[in-house]
Parts: sequence; C-alpha cells; structure tokens
Amino acid sequence: MKTPTDHITLFTEISVWLTGFNEAELLATGMLDTYYQALQANSSQDDFSYFFKAVEIILHQNRNDIASTEKAIASMLMPVSAYNGIAGSIITMWYTGNWGNTVISGQAYIQGLVWDAAQTHPPGAKQPGFGSWNMPPL
Amino acid sequence: MSDLLNKTYTQTDTQPNNPKRQMLIKDLPAVPEITLLTKSGGIADDVSSEPMIKTLDDLKRNLQIAIELEHSTIPPYLCALYSIKEGTNAVASTIIRSVVVEEMLHMVLAANILNAIGGEPVINKKDFIPEYPGYLPGSDKAFIVGLEKFSEDSVNVFLKIEKPAPPLPKHEKNETGNLLFADPGYQTIGQFYMAIMLGIEYVNKHTKGGIFTNDPERKKRQLTQEHYYGSGGMIVPVYSIENAREAIQEIVGQGEGIDDTIEDSDKKLFGQTTEYAHYFRFNEILQKRMYAPTDTPKSGPTGEPIIVDWGEVHNMKTNPKLDDYRHQPDLLAKARAFNMAYTQLLDQIHMACNGAPEQLMKGMGLMYKLKYLAIELMNIPIKGSGMMAGPTFEFEKPVAE
Amino acid sequence: MESIQYDVVIVGSGISGAVIAKTLTLAGKRVLILEAGLEAGIALEGEAAYNAYQNYLETFYKAPAKAPNSPYPDLKDAPSIDVLDIVKLQPGKTSTKGYLVQKGPLPFASDCVRGPGGTTLHWLGTTLRMLPNDFKMKSVYGQSIDWPISYDDLKPYYQMAELEIGVSGDVHDQNYPGITPDFFGQQYVFPMKKIPQSYLDAVISKKTNKLKVNLHGKTYQLSCISTPQGRNSVPDTDYPYSKIVWNNREKKLKIEHADPYSNLPSLWDPYTGERCEGNASCVPICPVQAKYNALKTLKKADQKNLNILTKAVVSKVIIDDKTQQVTGIAYKRYTNPGEPEHTTGLATAHVYVLAASAIENAKILLASDAANSSDQVGRNLMGHLVMLTWGLSKEKVYPYRGPGSTTNIPTFRDGDFRSEHAAWISPIDNWGWSWPVFSPGSDVSTAIANGLFGKALRTHINEVVTRQVLLHFEVEQTPDPDNRVTIDPEYVDPLGNYKPVINYNVGDYMLKAFEAAKIVSDQIFAANDLEDHTVYNPVTDPDYVVYKGQGYTFRGAGHIVGTHRMGFTKQDSVVNKEQRCWDHSNLFLAGCGNMPTLGTSNPTLTMTALAFSAAENILKQLEH
Repeated sequence: MKTPTDHITLFTEISVWLTGFNEAELLATGMLDTYYQALQANSSQDDFSYFFKAVEIILHQNRNDIASTEKAIASMLMPVSAYNGIAGSIITMWYTGNWGNTVISGQAYIQGLVWDAAQTHPPGAKQPGFGSWNMPPL
Repeated sequence: MSDLLNKTYTQTDTQPNNPKRQMLIKDLPAVPEITLLTKSGGIADDVSSEPMIKTLDDLKRNLQIAIELEHSTIPPYLCALYSIKEGTNAVASTIIRSVVVEEMLHMVLAANILNAIGGEPVINKKDFIPEYPGYLPGSDKAFIVGLEKFSEDSVNVFLKIEKPAPPLPKHEKNETGNLLFADPGYQTIGQFYMAIMLGIEYVNKHTKGGIFTNDPERKKRQLTQEHYYGSGGMIVPVYSIENAREAIQEIVGQGEGIDDTIEDSDKKLFGQTTEYAHYFRFNEILQKRMYAPTDTPKSGPTGEPIIVDWGEVHNMKTNPKLDDYRHQPDLLAKARAFNMAYTQLLDQIHMACNGAPEQLMKGMGLMYKLKYLAIELMNIPIKGSGMMAGPTFEFEKPVAE
Repeated sequence: MESIQYDVVIVGSGISGAVIAKTLTLAGKRVLILEAGLEAGIALEGEAAYNAYQNYLETFYKAPAKAPNSPYPDLKDAPSIDVLDIVKLQPGKTSTKGYLVQKGPLPFASDCVRGPGGTTLHWLGTTLRMLPNDFKMKSVYGQSIDWPISYDDLKPYYQMAELEIGVSGDVHDQNYPGITPDFFGQQYVFPMKKIPQSYLDAVISKKTNKLKVNLHGKTYQLSCISTPQGRNSVPDTDYPYSKIVWNNREKKLKIEHADPYSNLPSLWDPYTGERCEGNASCVPICPVQAKYNALKTLKKADQKNLNILTKAVVSKVIIDDKTQQVTGIAYKRYTNPGEPEHTTGLATAHVYVLAASAIENAKILLASDAANSSDQVGRNLMGHLVMLTWGLSKEKVYPYRGPGSTTNIPTFRDGDFRSEHAAWISPIDNWGWSWPVFSPGSDVSTAIANGLFGKALRTHINEVVTRQVLLHFEVEQTPDPDNRVTIDPEYVDPLGNYKPVINYNVGDYMLKAFEAAKIVSDQIFAANDLEDHTVYNPVTDPDYVVYKGQGYTFRGAGHIVGTHRMGFTKQDSVVNKEQRCWDHSNLFLAGCGNMPTLGTSNPTLTMTALAFSAAENILKQLEH
C-alpha cells in the first residue's frame, strides 16, 4: 500500500513526463497539491491506484532511458481507454487548469501552462505591461 | 536659502504640490547647516557657513549614492510583497506595493536631478546591487537589511528603514561631501536629501550661469510622465532649480523625511484621503490597524482593524543565494533567469537614464516579469531545508549566445 | 426617495445613461437613474469598487467558457442577453434558451450586459467615428435610408465623446476612404497617443499594407492603420481639452480648454490603470480598468444631484392619454434577484430618458404602447456581421498579447461598391483563434487526443499557437423592418416583464459582402503565405448562410442597433433628430437604437456622441 507521499512523488514525476515541463516549472505554479487532490476526487479508486501502479512500474523499469519511458507512456498511459484517460486529464489540468470542462479554481486558470508553452500569459492575469505586445515576448 | 524649503518644512503639514500628501518634516533637522539660513531666508555668504556638499563633483557623487540608496530598499520590500500568498493579506500587500512604487519613483527622480546637473547615473554595475544581508549604502550600520519573507521581523526592519534615527550629532568641520550616514554624518534619509538640497542651492548660486544644463540634447535625458506610469505620484522632469526642489519635495514628502518627533507628535495627520508616510503605513501592518482621522502619531493607529495573517506566506529562505540551489539544476536555472532579468532591468533603467528614456517602457515590462518569476521561485521547495526558494537579486549578465 | 423632485429620470446606467446623467447633474439638474442590476456593481470608489470588480474578475477566472458576459451576474429577474444561449435554429422552430426568444430564421448573435456600467464593462474599446457617407446611404448609394443629421452635425459631439471615453490614437494614421482633410480638423489630436500596435500587426502589415487586391474587376490598394481605442495610453500634451460644460447663456454644450488632460485610472486607485497593461482580456474584463467603462463617467457626475436606484427593473412608461406626456416610469424592485418577489414603484420627473439598450428600450416601449405611431418601434434591428478567417503563419507572430485589436484595414469601409453590397472593416485580431475555435484549449485537447504528451506536446503547442492569425470582416447590416423585437404574453420573465421576441435574417446585400470579403481575405492569405484553417460548419454554426452555393458563417459583434430609429418624419421614425420621441415631447430615447444605419464603426463612440447631443437637447428643454 502506497502512502500519499509516495503517490504525490509519483504524481510529480509522471507529470514531468506528461507535460514536458520540468519539476521546478511544475512546482512554480503552486498547484501540485490542488491537482493531486483533483485527480483523487475525480477518479475512481480503482483507476487511481492502478494508474499509479502502472506509473511506478514504467518509471522503475525504464529508469534513465528517455526513449523507452516515452514509449511505455505512449502505449500504456496515453490511450483514452487506459485508466479512463487519467493521463490525458493530468495533462489537461496542468495545461489549462480544467478537469474536463470545469475550471478547478481561479488560480488553476491563471497557472495554466498552455500560456507558457505559447510564450504568452493567461488573458486577464500575469499582464506583461504597457506596450509589451509591440515586441516579441521577453 | 529658498523660501520654498522654509515654507515646506516649517509651515505646512502637506506638500504644496499635493495637498493629499503629508509633509512630515516640520522643522529643519538639527544640522549645523541650519546656521546657514539667514533670517531672510537667503544663504549666508561667509566661508564658515559652507555646507557639507559644496562642489559639483560632491553633488554628483551624493546623487549617485541617493540613487543606490533608493534602489537598495526595493529588493527587501519586493521579497516581502511577493511572499504573500495570492488572495491573502490584501491590505498589507497594497501598503507594501505603494511604498515600493514610490521608492522606484524616487530612484528615477534622483537620476533626473543628476542628469540635470550634467551627471551620468550609473545603474548597471555589479556593485550597484548591495549585498544582502547588509547595511543600507553608506548607513550608520545601526541595523541590517536582508531579503526576507513577509513577517513581523521583516516589517520591523522596514520601520527602521523608514524611521529616522535620533537628531544628528555635531560633525566635524572637515567632513567631505560624500560622507553620508557614516558617523558622525547624516543618519536619516531625510537629512541626507536636505544636505543635497542645500548643496544644490549653494553650488548653483556659486556657479556662474548655474549648474542646470541648458543643452537641449542633455534635456532629452529627463524621464517624464510619458515614460513612467502606475506609480506613486508625479514624475518631475528637472530643468531648473525649482524643478529640483520639487523633485526633492516629492521624495522627502513621501516619507523618508520624517523627523524624530513623529512618535511624540500630537498632530492629526491621518485620514482616508491622506497619503501618509512609509513609516506609518508599515506601522499599520504591524499594529494590524489603520490610522483613523482623529489619530496622532502619539496615539498610534486606532482605526479599522486590518487582517494580517503572518501564516499565509511562502516560507522563503532568508537571504537566499544561488549556491543554495546547487543541487536543484532546474531551480537554479529559474533563479538565474530571475537574476538575468533583474540585471537586464538595471541595464534598461541605466539606458533610460542615460539618453534613451523610451527604454524605460521595456524596463517596466521586465518588472512585471520579475514579479512572476519571484512568485514562481517561492513556490519551489529547497530540498531538505523545509524552506522555499526565492529571488537572490544577484548581478548576472546573460552569456552571449 | 419619493420626496425628491427630480428633473430627469434615466433608465439604465450604461454609457448613454451615464453621459446624460453626468452632463445634467453638472448643469445642476437632479437626476434619478433606475438600474436593473445589483447594488454592488454601482460602487464608484475605494474598497467597495475594488471588491465588486474583483468579484467579477474571480468569476471570470472560474468560468468554463470565457464569453463576454462571463464575469457579470446573470439575474433571473433582470436577465442579460448571452452569446452562450445562441443555438442553431431548426426551420420554423423557436428557441427560448436564453433571455431572447429567437424566432429566426437566423438567431440574433449579439449580447449585452444588464447591470451597472452596462456593456462598456465588456466592450473591446474600439472608437471609430462613422464616415460622412454612412449618414446618407440613400442619397449616395440608393441603399437603406439617410440620417436626419450629417457627419458635420455630429462632429463636435464626436470630440466630446473622445474626451469622455479617453481615446488613444494617432490622427495622422486615420486615412479612411471617402473623407476630406477636415474630417478631424487640421490641428486635431486625440487625448492620448496611440496604443502601441502589436508585433503581430507589424508582421501581417509588412505584406498587407499597400497590397493590391482584385475584387469584381476592380483593383484596390489595402492599407493597415492603427485603431483608435478607449483605453489608456500616454496623454498627448498637445491635446487641449479637459471638460465639457453646459453654457446656459448660449444654451449649448461646450468642450473646453481648462487643466491639462489627465486620463481616467481605475475607480479604486489612481495609480492602477493609467496605462493599458496588456492583460489581453479587454473582452470580457479589463482587470486594471485601463479600458474605459461608463462607471468612470458616473463617478464624474455631481453626486449630490444624482441618485441611483439599483435592483429596479423598468416595466412600463406611463403615458397620459390626453396630453401624450409621460407621467412616470413604473418599475419592479426585487429583493433577491433569483426570486419573483418584488415591490413596485413609480419614478417621476419632468423629462424621461430610456437608455436601457436598443432591445430593452424597444421592449419597454412596446410594453407601454408608447412612441409607436410610426409602427417602427422594435423594427430595423441590426448588428455587425463578423465573418472570420483564420490561418497559420510561417513566421511566429506571438498572438494572445495586447488589446484585442490594434490595427485595421479600412479600405472597404466606403466606396461605390456600396450600391451593390455592404461595406466592411477588417480588424487584425491579436488573440489567435480563441474566438472561432476556442484556442488554445482546443489545441491542447486535440493534441492529447492524438497521443501527444511531454516535450513533443509542449513544442507542438508552441509551434501552433504562436502562429495563429485571425482576421475579421465586420460587415455593415442594413435596416430591414422585418428584423424586429416584439413582445408576446407567452414569454415573460419571473417578474412578469416581457422577454424580447426576435425575428432576424440577413439579406443578399450582406451575403454579397461576405462573398466579396472572402475574395479579399483569400488574397491577403496568399500574400502572407498563411495556411488557411477557416471552416464554416453548416451543421454546428448557428449563423451559417449560403450565397451562390458557397457557405459562410457570421458571428455577432455585440453591437445592437436600430430598434427606435431617428428620422425626418413622424411617419418613418420613432425619434426626431433631437432624439425626442415624436409622440411624447418629454420622452427621450438614447443609445444605439436611435441609429438609422450603422456603417462600419463600432457604434459606442457614435452612441456617446449622440448621448451628449441628447443631453444638450434635454437641457435646452428644461431651461426653456
């Protein structure tokens, strides 16, 4: 039986693989606990625990090998049929702050990583200052 | 001595150019130069009453120190401000932010004065940034200022920064103009600016044609309201001694100039529409209460309570250094990104103050970016320490690609 | 409240109501505003204003669909028209999904905010004047009708509107087809310097400015110009005006030289909103209030002469049968906006003004059987029809930054083609594909569905989203008496007030313009080497239309115009050129409903100019 601490570590690690953002970038959003809780609240107990078992195996078996880890994630986690699409939901949370069509919180919207990926900021927050749009992003 | 200084500092409680703002120096500080002032308000001509700052070079050197001094308070205030968790401590955040933007304004105003007398502000050098923890530039070393999260301790330091020391002791006649806070020199920022103003009056009077440049090219170095926004008060472009007085009033009136009587004064200085000095604003946070219009400095704040929650704060490590992050490369990269943006900001301000005022707009964009980066850092734990990272405010030029 | 004798009662606190209230109170008149929205939103300063606005912002953050009305309360007792309620209509079927009862055949697709400050809370902020020929479509092009006033008549009021809103712009850039050098006047400058144009604008303009395009056998040279906007930038020290005052001796409103112009920051803090800070969310909400909203005008009113009664939903204008004078305005005041319980009241004054939006004004008049001897009340409902085209640029253009649009192509705003098809303006959009396909959220979900994750996903999002280009073709709609607001006892809201019933369609004159605009768009895409991703979906797009076998989709621009138009005679219009009802000499109508045609300008600036003109006429009447 995994303790919540182990799960949240696994959640952080797999989030890095799924999102393409490094651990510091994910932590910097301040959303880790919120998203972990949202995942727990919105998944069935079975999906949740089997998903983390799979994550543990993937990360353990392919330790330090990027290509094989990515291959395993693609085949075992990414299909929508796998654990009711938990992997996709995790990406969606980090990128948009949503679970499905629900915005998890105001902060979740503001911290959406899709805006960083697109070299901009969420509309209505983290404004870049007068005239900044006149130049390429800083 | 100008009527204006006399009037401002002795007769009114508010600034003439901003009736909403308190003028807290009610009397000239007890510096020896007070003997300079003749009854009629002019400067006495005899040699014995020369001010400490009496050459153009002294003046330029002291204005450069003024710029550095204004800047040195900003990183500590920003650390406290950005450590406050989103959506909490709203009043405290507003107060700190209002002080920070005024310090930025003061820095720019000091640069304007320096430019007006033919000087060249230097802002993009490594030693422009003070070492934290450390003393304020040239201070009397009475207290240490550091990069800290929002806490009772840090706000207490802010009070010390903004609160004056006891009256100035007599100083030796042979002190040079660049002596600032060093004992037995000035001990308050207000006294310092007073010395600068007296120096400006003196040197201007004793220089043929005055010290304010008439060169149209040099006049273009002034930063104006066009280049600056979102901040505490009006930016004053300086083309004349009148403008210089106004700029110094703006700085002093916002709070550095408070004299040592503030805690004992029975004047009613407060009210909803009054912008009062930094010291009182920080004191509201500490006392968790606003000043009421009937309050006096002596009474302390008795108005509406303020919710201050010292727990709703990112637990930023005090005075973090890049070295603290050496085992976390991603974190290190982010902290360096902050420092590079910060260094770039100093570059932009430097350029803005040295003939390219339009560069300030780009600099303001960087200020926003620094805020977001600082908050990001404060969300990242330093492994094994139980504490969070934070901006280190160290000078770092980006490596050429 | 009843004990105060008011000079004027105004219905609605949007920009028209606010401008009239400010002008009248500063001239010493006592004014009551009846506002259907909540009390919190009327706060004009300090913490109350800040808190109310932060609530809007937080609601916006949490809204799954960031539609224009998403930050603002939608009240059961005073519902707002919402674009999220627009559905594709089945032939012969009526949609009752939202506040509007849509009878079709096409759904009307514009929305508005019913609450303190009105739709200026979510307007984009574009402040273009109408062109001289827009006022005389019939005599110049044989289309629609002429206005009873000319551009020159309105010009001084445009200046007032530009001062009131605080327009940022560069007059030198403003070259529109069909204007003469005195369009603005030789020395004229806007209150503030132009809002910087976006990086994206610069990239697209490079190959679009001076591009020659062919349309129906004619060659046109396109131009790309900066767009004047009602958001704060750097005050122009050459701008001479600072206030608008009633001169009782001359019986005129005057724009005056007084103090140097200073712009209007946020309601709660003089150092917030002094400049646009690039939140890129003007629609639905500017978090720093650098963008103008009508509350800023209300704040400048003489507060001792102004009362604002919120939660007061107007149901009827009471008319004296004999004199045909308005004797009062009946309202229902709810206690809880979600419950039908309410009290009733009657507001009385010497003069009355309806400024509750074009659709609401028409509805109230119809419910009151008022002002309608011409049978024009509720007719000629129009808006701008927005045809979008979108593509991917080879070069990264970095959208989703800055105000919604900072540059436009004015080339087709006027010309001989208006005898054949409608004119349009083409704003270049700064917000990627968010409007047509809900990017970048949809880009993420599509990528995940395609199995992308990790660094590949991050790179993909960067590559796609930073290249998104969107062009608008905002097509003028001409008045059609069958496009109309009616009422029907079958459709009422919880307070028992009528819901507006809408019949709406788009004629060939506009469809031809879609065809023409698409021909131009294709040439712009080709010149810029944009990969076309435009899709008009006949199954899902509510306003999908077909012309000559080709399908087009248009969207609403949020401009609701024409339902109580002004005109030359009592027979063909609801108000005269003074904006007074032909039928009731103490009832004025304000807002876009008065506009006989709308040209290619976003109508707020014109509506504001008209509001100043109306305020002047009201003062003349009161001082008579």
